[in-house]
Amino acid sequence: MTTSYLKFPVLLLLFVMQYSFAQKNPSEDFRFLERTENIKIHLDKGNFEIVKNIHEKAEYVTANKLYFANEVLRFDSFTKIEDIEAVTYLPDSGKKLEVDYIETKHEFDDGIFYSDQQTKNFTFPGVTKGAITDLKYKEVINEPHFLGLFRFGTYAPTEKAVLRIEFPKNVEIGYKEFHTENITINFQKEEKKNHNIYTWTTENVAKFSSEDDAEAALYHLPHIILHIKNYTENGKTIPILNNVNDLYSWYASLAKRVDESDLKKVHEIAEDIAKNYSTDREKAEAIYNWVQENITYVAFEDGLGGFIPRGAASVCKNRYGDCKDMANLLYVMLNHVGIPAYRTWIGTRDRPYLYDEVPTPMVDNHMITATVIDNDTIFIDGTDSYVNFGMPSSFTQTKEALIGISPERFVLKKVPVQPAEKSKTVINTTITFEDGNIKASEKRVMTGYERVDFVTDYLYKKKDNTEEEFLNTTLALGNNKTKYQNITVSPIESKYKELTLAFDLQIENYAKTIGSKTILNLNIDRVLSKQKIDIETRKYAKKIDHQYQKEYTTTFIIPEGYKVTSVPKPIKFDGKDYGFDIHYEQKDNQIIQHKSIYINTLRVEKEDFEAWNSFVKKLIKAYKKSIIIEK
Amino acid sequence: MRAIIAIILCLCTSQAFSQYYKEYDWAKKPTLHELTEKEANESSISILEKYVVEYVVPKFGNKLQKFETTHTIARVHDEKGIKTHNTVYISMYDVLNIVDIKARTITPDGKVTLLNKDNIKEVKNVEEYGDFKIFAIEGAEKDSEIEVLYTLEKEYSAFGRETLQKSYPIKRLEYHFIHGELPGRVKAYRADSNFETRTYGESTGKQLILENVVPMIEEEYATPKSNKTYVAYQCFGPDTNVTDDMLWSNVVTNITQGMFPATVHPEIAKIAKTIIKDETADDFTKAFLIDDYVKTNYTIVQNNNEQLSDIDYIVKNKSASDLGIIKVYSHLLEAAKVEYLPVITSDVYEHKFDSEFFNPIALREFLIYIPKAFKYITPNRVDYRLSEIPPNILGNTGIFVNNKKQFSFYKILQKDQDYSRVVRNMNISFEDDMEYVQIEQNQEYYGHWAMNNRAYLNLAPEQAIKEFEDYLTGSGIEDKVVKKYEVKNKEMLQLEYNKPFLVNSAITSESLLEEAGDSYIFQVGKVIGTQSELYQETKRVNPIQMQYPNRYNYEIVVNIPQDYEVEGLESLIIKKELLDEEGNQKCKFESNYKLNGSKLTITIEEFYKEFEYDIAEYEGFREVINAASDFNKAAILMNPKE
Repeated sequence: MTTSYLKFPVLLLLFVMQYSFAQKNPSEDFRFLERTENIKIHLDKGNFEIVKNIHEKAEYVTANKLYFANEVLRFDSFTKIEDIEAVTYLPDSGKKLEVDYIETKHEFDDGIFYSDQQTKNFTFPGVTKGAITDLKYKEVINEPHFLGLFRFGTYAPTEKAVLRIEFPKNVEIGYKEFHTENITINFQKEEKKNHNIYTWTTENVAKFSSEDDAEAALYHLPHIILHIKNYTENGKTIPILNNVNDLYSWYASLAKRVDESDLKKVHEIAEDIAKNYSTDREKAEAIYNWVQENITYVAFEDGLGGFIPRGAASVCKNRYGDCKDMANLLYVMLNHVGIPAYRTWIGTRDRPYLYDEVPTPMVDNHMITATVIDNDTIFIDGTDSYVNFGMPSSFTQTKEALIGISPERFVLKKVPVQPAEKSKTVINTTITFEDGNIKASEKRVMTGYERVDFVTDYLYKKKDNTEEEFLNTTLALGNNKTKYQNITVSPIESKYKELTLAFDLQIENYAKTIGSKTILNLNIDRVLSKQKIDIETRKYAKKIDHQYQKEYTTTFIIPEGYKVTSVPKPIKFDGKDYGFDIHYEQKDNQIIQHKSIYINTLRVEKEDFEAWNSFVKKLIKAYKKSIIIEK
Repeated sequence: MRAIIAIILCLCTSQAFSQYYKEYDWAKKPTLHELTEKEANESSISILEKYVVEYVVPKFGNKLQKFETTHTIARVHDEKGIKTHNTVYISMYDVLNIVDIKARTITPDGKVTLLNKDNIKEVKNVEEYGDFKIFAIEGAEKDSEIEVLYTLEKEYSAFGRETLQKSYPIKRLEYHFIHGELPGRVKAYRADSNFETRTYGESTGKQLILENVVPMIEEEYATPKSNKTYVAYQCFGPDTNVTDDMLWSNVVTNITQGMFPATVHPEIAKIAKTIIKDETADDFTKAFLIDDYVKTNYTIVQNNNEQLSDIDYIVKNKSASDLGIIKVYSHLLEAAKVEYLPVITSDVYEHKFDSEFFNPIALREFLIYIPKAFKYITPNRVDYRLSEIPPNILGNTGIFVNNKKQFSFYKILQKDQDYSRVVRNMNISFEDDMEYVQIEQNQEYYGHWAMNNRAYLNLAPEQAIKEFEDYLTGSGIEDKVVKKYEVKNKEMLQLEYNKPFLVNSAITSESLLEEAGDSYIFQVGKVIGTQSELYQETKRVNPIQMQYPNRYNYEIVVNIPQDYEVEGLESLIIKKELLDEEGNQKCKFESNYKLNGSKLTITIEEFYKEFEYDIAEYEGFREVINAASDFNKAAILMNPKE
């Protein structure tokens, strides 16, 4: 049986454009002539052996990107890399040079303290303009839940990409393509005596380049995910990853292996915390705060250990853990004080999949805890030390959570987007004008993710800089000569709902005094003014981390002996997803500017770029308007 | 029988010697330490950091032993402090034997949690650093003390180095260098006190005690990392008399092996002929062609493959180690009859070379000096071609080796002081009834500027190129629309000496023109792009190091609309300079203007003739740097004519 189909033939024109891009663009320095993955599945008495034969052939069009000659192949305790054959062909001289030195290495990772991942490193010899490199190797997978994914496109243009999977007839395979709308894929099914073969072939796939403020590559890159659904032996069908049920039973079987001994101490801590509160909500909040404050994030990825949470007793004693360890600790503590809590698997916003689309471990990369209080499902992320109870971690919003109710039962539930009013910054500023310079005192009260972002930056982005310099570069108020004094920051722990940042400012070279007139712009904070999108070159939607509101009240005290001769007119932009309103009022000896800005979306789609730019442009226009005072 | 002998030997050594590390231990009953209020406000503070290096002559055999003990106690006050101290990485480089590794946490209520040694993980061959033992500290909560103590027996090596200054404050720091009868030297760099001789049981050595070591802070125009307090030492076998001169000489002989080939490799001789078609060309041209050839045909590989320094292997595979690649250059330069000197030094941002104390860490960067062109080849920088010395080396001392393998130390400096400069000419007009500003601009970039621009546009990933093009058309103008953007002389291969990299662009912006009633404020200063501003709330720690000497000459023509007149031009006049003792300008920023009818011409001259300035000159230097930032705030008012 052979089927072949062309997806979305109307997009043929686009395809031609991409074809010419991949083929003719002289600015391409490096491209793949061929990328092939040939997967063979063997099944012997219920034991799977999965071998991927990988072949990559690449051409160095120029000598600008010779660093691509440094090849790194990754493997871990679920995979082995074997039979690496790597050769460089030099068409000019007809020479062939073989890679004769391969080193196995470890890498340190900022996010993961210990990982069993290792790399095979080698360098293609003799690469120069015109060189062609040819790499063949085997990846042997010993865990049938990890068939992985295949990228039709990658960081360099690909002339031909082929994925082929050969599997016994008693095995059923599932697959799902992502973002292949703009490429043409030829799909063939072949039936042999003992096995089936599926082949996907595509040609001339443009390269992928990442963009700032965009979703992760997997949101854009054409790729496919394969999974083993089940196999039949002696008339019995044994499921592997048929559907979410199977995935969940596998996760549940791993969760059963969690060490549940010696929980006395953990229970005592939970009881100790809970006894001070009367409602479940308060108890849950206090327990969550305790974990946020007392357990430090340290991640280990070690074989199946990377999937099985460490026992709550050990996490509690060691005072460190990764996401699954903290999720399990919260699960144990909350349940112990009578609050129903569940271990929950989830993909962060970097993973674009739904469980039903591809019921595989590719969907998730994170673990949290879900609790139900007064019929309200609350998602709790132990790894986010600063988010308030009741809000999920920002990077899990919109994502589908797999909530494990019992070893047999689970629920899929979407983590809700947190509305803008939950993440608010209220800014009150009083500005005075003395001796030609501007002085201001400002108070910022932050809630929700506005608060979390500030705390994280304050702790970790500040690095070795002073507080003054940190504020100068992050808030960028006035100009880069602005001096920050008397800085105070209220306590940062998650048990506090608000964070108050206060400081005084002195801004030199800001107000312009010419003759008797002084011109002064009250927009010392020009947030979003750099957010214009370059519509011509931008390829992907703009990602926004969280929805928020900012409310400014800026009071200018009119100095004695001055009168106001010009006040800007009100201006606003009233979008559904984003907008602002700026207006001024004059009261006694004050001019008060009221400014509010809101962002009610997590993504600006490509078709909305024009609207977004009108918003930003109008905001810039509003920022340009000054008041004038005269002696 | 052999086992018995081994046991006897062990007993003998342990009885005959009482080594310091064996006696040394942490407190049996640990308690939390007293801290001042200021110390208690730090995210974390180290109460003790103690390092012991101990050389031992064994009773039997002639193999010197070396033991290294590290003992730290840190108080952690918040999450950031915990994260700084709760993961421990111990390098296993040269380690023969782990004598002991232990760690414990003492909580505010006195509870002690001892590290479970089963949780120590082994990590093999990490990047280029070798093997590690790693573990996470158990039981650390806020306001705990984390204590780590370990002793490693290492393969004998005569040299060592330890950076003492960290990212957190240290209350007490001890460094003990126990060399007994062995000839040993130790030197502390940028430390507040000196090494003193003392006895350690039956042995002798030197100790350095430092109190209140502050963390090194990040500063601009500085080399904070290489300015950190550190210790370096040497220790040789009994009754030897090794001088620094012998050590340098020995290293030069080893490193430069194969760098002055008697005969050129036949394969390279052939290649040389194809690269250099005109044998009468000058050394600059030949060396440039050779540099370009190597960087577009060879790859430098960092791994443990020893063949990467073998010339036959290198020529066959076009892959070399960072030392091996020098051999390729040597053969090519030899074939082209270009005089050259290999140079051995280090990155000035990583390590300041000290010719008076041999230290192998200083031998990290290998360059080639072409004396007739007064220029350097930097083999490990694909972004560079034959040029003045790159900024990461400028100012460091290097060993220059001639073809007789004689060597000398020189401070590596720039020859052409006018090498790097930027010339910009702008023509500004106001369009569409004062709706927006149009800026046409021609820019010329010379020297390191040009090198850097070319490298970006040729080698960087797409996203980085986009950002760079944004910079080239004017940074900091948020609503800029680029109407025209052209570059010339973009190619890396430029045989004409210091040929400028050219950019012609036209942009428009609305935000540069602010409204004030019927008048307009033109933010003219912003057209020169965002300028760095040096803050200094705290006392400057590091002397000033600029990337390289630099010069900027700008001319900005502003065409004032006929029905407007300008006010506030005085903000365009700025002059700041730093003079040396003879009254010569070391650096300067000067801007001025001429108004001719409706044509306003603004000129800016800014230069930094020196790249190094003393810490005492910091204020003067800062004023010059900030003058450019002042200009960036300059604005002129345009009023409608009555």
